[in-house]
Amino acid sequence: MRELPPLGKDTVVRLSRQGGFAPLHALSKPREIEFGQYDSAQRGRICSVLERCLPESGEPAQVGRGDQRYFKVELRFRPQATEQEDELTLLIPEDKAPSELVRLWDKGLVE
Amino acid sequence: MSRNPGTIQGVIPPYILGRIIDHGDEHQRSCALTTLSHVQSLLHNPGRPGVRQAPVGALPRTDDASPQRSIFDAGNAMQLPGRLVRQEGQAAVSDVAVDEAYDYLGATFTFFNEVFGRNSIDGQGLPLAGTVHYGQDYQNAFWNGEQMVFGDGDGEIFNRFTIALDVIAHELVHGVTESEAGLVYFNQSGALNESVSDVFGILVKQYELKQTAAEADWIIGAGLLTDRINGKGLRSMAEPGTAYDDPTLGKDPQPGHMRDYIETREDNGGVHLNSGIPNRAFYLAALALGGHAWEKAGPIWYDTLCDSRLANDADFAAFARLTVSNAGRRFGAESAEVRAVEEAWAGVGVILS
Repeated sequence: MRELPPLGKDTVVRLSRQGGFAPLHALSKPREIEFGQYDSAQRGRICSVLERCLPESGEPAQVGRGDQRYFKVELRFRPQATEQEDELTLLIPEDKAPSELVRLWDKGLVE
Repeated sequence: MSRNPGTIQGVIPPYILGRIIDHGDEHQRSCALTTLSHVQSLLHNPGRPGVRQAPVGALPRTDDASPQRSIFDAGNAMQLPGRLVRQEGQAAVSDVAVDEAYDYLGATFTFFNEVFGRNSIDGQGLPLAGTVHYGQDYQNAFWNGEQMVFGDGDGEIFNRFTIALDVIAHELVHGVTESEAGLVYFNQSGALNESVSDVFGILVKQYELKQTAAEADWIIGAGLLTDRINGKGLRSMAEPGTAYDDPTLGKDPQPGHMRDYIETREDNGGVHLNSGIPNRAFYLAALALGGHAWEKAGPIWYDTLCDSRLANDADFAAFARLTVSNAGRRFGAESAEVRAVEEAWAGVGVILS
């Protein structure tokens, strides 16, 4: 799968950095981004970052091995307003993470 | 990438999928079965993986059981391997991280060679390549399938990651594990992968210091935390969960017994958390056997790591049974060593039968 599902206003994205020799919770700095708090242009920018991550997403048992760090991108969304909530998880090795993703995790959406 | 519920592979642990299969509605069960089937296909044992070649600039293999070290400097960038700054036989340079990496990779090579007769990471003289000064204030050390990589730390929480011999040995042992059992880095097999690196990492330190099991501190990463942090190191193998307790870092969350096993989707299924359980089992075995841990407990664990019966998706109980079997092979089925290993696993709540 190499494209994002349609992400509506009720989408929530959770970003965290995981893995490493010392995977301390204080260092994972989880950040939740609620789409409802942003306008359509801002949501489009976030989706653009997420789309760039798609080709880099790896398998659960491969990403992180040998204490390598990675970014975990968890999306909760409803494909249609009436449908059941769905989830999508991307695991992005640190050395393949787009700089925009790192910035989004570290600083949030910066104008 | 994973989808839940859905048809794509997941980071959802198999035990959760199992619950969905048992209790979910028809659609959920169908999705979970498909996902579980895919996850299991990822976990099949393909045989022993090979370790890839060391990076360009590293020395060639040798068969004379002497280390072939190459240390690189990333210059605080994140490109590997970086600039070659010291090779085998060259004098120390005026950079403590370079010299620590060189010395401690050498100490780890010597330990495996002298104690187990192993020639480097793959047993076939793989050159040892390490990069220091990786990234800006980088708070990590890792093995990337070809080489070891060490950050400088941020100076507030972490000192440089070359500071502790057992940390450097820990990373090198990830390469040894990839060459042998290839333990899948997920859930219990992943926690075993981590534990094996801690076990042999701490043995390298004890061997260097000539300490008995009773004398050793059993702390992984002693000296790695700065003076600002209230902690002895990153992990305690003797008393998991007691390595640090600090306002910034929180309390060390590692369990030391199966009753406290952590089920989580974080950290590859808690590989750095639940490793506390097999870590403590090794500590209990080593303490019961007495003397130097590398003389009895170490060889039993090493035999297990190299045992062709060890599946790459082994759980704690499967690994434990093989340690008992290997204790019997080395010391006799009715030996005190077998009893000590059995009691060590019982002491952390791992049921052998």
